[in-house]
Amino acid sequence: MACATKSLSPAALEAFGAELDALRARTVAKIGTEDARYIRRVVKVQRYFEVAGRVLLFASIFPPAWFLGTLLLGLAKILDNMEIGHNVMHGQYDWMRDPHLNGKTYEWDIAGTGDNWRKTHNFKHHTYTNVRGMDDDIGYGLLRLFPEQRWRPFYLAQPLVAIIFALAFEWGVAIQDLELGKYFAGRKSKAQMRAEWKPVSRKMRRQIVKDYVIFPILAGPFFLPVLAGNFVANIIRNLWTYTVIFCGHFTADVHLFPKSIVDNESRGHWYWRQILGSSNLRGGKLFHVMTGNLSHQIEHHLFPDIPAWRYEALAREVRAICTRYGVPYNTGRMSVQFSQVVWRILRHSLPSRPARLPSVTPLAA
Amino acid sequence: MTSLRRYLQPLVSPPVFDFWASRFNAAASWDRVLAKVVARRAESRDAVTLELRANRHFKGLRAGQHLNVTAEVDGARLTRSYSPSLLSADGRHLSITVREVDGGKLSTQLCRHTAIGDVVELGAAFGDMTWADAAPGARLLLAAGSGITPMISLIRSAVAAGSTLDLDLVYWARRRDELCFVDELRDLATRMPGLRCHFVLTRETGLREGEHEGRPSQELLQRLVPDHAQRQVFACGPDGFVESVRELLETRVSQFHSESFTPKALPAAVTGTVRVELTRSRRTLEVPAGMPLLAALESQGLAPAHGCRMGLCNTCACGKSAGSTQNVVDGSTDAEPTPALRICVNRATSDLILDL
Repeated sequence: MACATKSLSPAALEAFGAELDALRARTVAKIGTEDARYIRRVVKVQRYFEVAGRVLLFASIFPPAWFLGTLLLGLAKILDNMEIGHNVMHGQYDWMRDPHLNGKTYEWDIAGTGDNWRKTHNFKHHTYTNVRGMDDDIGYGLLRLFPEQRWRPFYLAQPLVAIIFALAFEWGVAIQDLELGKYFAGRKSKAQMRAEWKPVSRKMRRQIVKDYVIFPILAGPFFLPVLAGNFVANIIRNLWTYTVIFCGHFTADVHLFPKSIVDNESRGHWYWRQILGSSNLRGGKLFHVMTGNLSHQIEHHLFPDIPAWRYEALAREVRAICTRYGVPYNTGRMSVQFSQVVWRILRHSLPSRPARLPSVTPLAA
Repeated sequence: MTSLRRYLQPLVSPPVFDFWASRFNAAASWDRVLAKVVARRAESRDAVTLELRANRHFKGLRAGQHLNVTAEVDGARLTRSYSPSLLSADGRHLSITVREVDGGKLSTQLCRHTAIGDVVELGAAFGDMTWADAAPGARLLLAAGSGITPMISLIRSAVAAGSTLDLDLVYWARRRDELCFVDELRDLATRMPGLRCHFVLTRETGLREGEHEGRPSQELLQRLVPDHAQRQVFACGPDGFVESVRELLETRVSQFHSESFTPKALPAAVTGTVRVELTRSRRTLEVPAGMPLLAALESQGLAPAHGCRMGLCNTCACGKSAGSTQNVVDGSTDAEPTPALRICVNRATSDLILDL
């Protein structure tokens, strides 16, 4: 699976890291008014979409209003979760010192808590990207996507499990950090579980009450259409975020790494691993915004704290650097990338073995 | 209203409320103290007075106190302290006078670009350069440069209260056109028999009536306020000024209150140690300046929350209320208070106060 990559001398790897560091410094120096204006504009669009969606749903005696309202609400949730929430929580806008855009306190319109996300995603996934046993995002403890993961008969049901997981993606993410597997295997105490469950359940309850009790009740006679609209809007968001996120790390040529790789990892080596563990999506401006610019997964993994709308400009330079150093840069249309993801889901539901040892280090032996 | 708020609290998301409320009234907010600029005028060659109308969250302040004022410059919020004067009985109409500092980002913004209708955020009032209007005793106010702002607030409040105190103001500036509130002070002096104002210019040629020259000295004070040793003294101005009047007076007068502007901390050497105050754990430590803060704090036996140790996961980010730091990865420096400092990749270049 993992294709061979050109090896780099230690000096070349260091120079590669230095070029990316320099690119980072050049970009950080530009951050200012434009970035503030951009994120405020996205927040504004998100707020108007959400209100328009909910108002239209209240008028859903007229069927087109239901469809449009549901769609707008779904889009509002996608914008809130991806271009705003995900990016703000990375601290991309902390430099503004705006308490409403603070990475440590931002809370989003989704079942999972911001705090859990900050831990599983910002720290574990971003630091240990695609390192087996350290990055919980590899199959989310539910799917087998790489031949290096041990096969069990449970994975035969994987095609079905993957669909259910996609539909309920926000709930999967919400309980990810509870590590239920550990608890059922007896490696986590009841007391610890209870303590961790408390904030998780509070957030879940809040989301359920908001979308399935308060807004439907406010709609009076349209209780059911509003409830259904909110439900479908949540599903739209779940399917879209699932698709974008899976395309970011589970396409055909992305690498999986063993734990040993993170020992004494240099900056250049870390950058190299981020690029090999991620894949991009091609598309237009609007498409990039709707993915929260996670279509530039590679740039996001290199520079997770740089305002994401800048990734498009960064991508040209990153790609040029990769070409110079012979580092593979994985990008493609969503249809192509996602079909590779689907193939992984199907293929590795059955027993499979790594074709050969993947290259785990860029250094020439 | 308060009880209604309590019931609504769990249902309201402050950012969403603020967004929609600000469509109707720019200074409306669920819980933040915002104020709209309602008037502006030049106060001297290099100072501007802004009149502000605060929203209902503003708790007011006493004459002589300071207030943190926050406004946005190039997309980022900056905070500085000013001494406002209250202009209305309900305590929500106030004015600040801002002197444009060379290279000062916020003062330049407020003096040149802030327009009527713009919104600034206000902090809680602080500072104890203040007195109860009824308290007896003669006073001497010493001000230099922007140090006049708490004094004008104290004097306005004394005049408004019909005070019969003996009150002398000695106000230093380099040149005449840098003095603020001259006409107003002269007018106030006619309305309060005990009030006398002395203007001292250090670099002006040709003095007019009521003006004097010279830096703070025993001899000058003796000439202007012969009984100054019996006064309660209030001094405000730049560090150097406050230190020199403190040396002159502290041991000789009945009470000495002072406040000075802290100059920007200069980036210190990479070597040596700095003092880090941790507000939440109530500890103060000496740590090496060259080391990233996370490692430095760990070497002292602390265990701050952290993740990647390379400046990307934001887990270690904590608030910094004072001091300057340098990012060891890209070399950028930051002297502003911030809600999110990544201690794993930043080292101290001055003493710091961290929210840890």
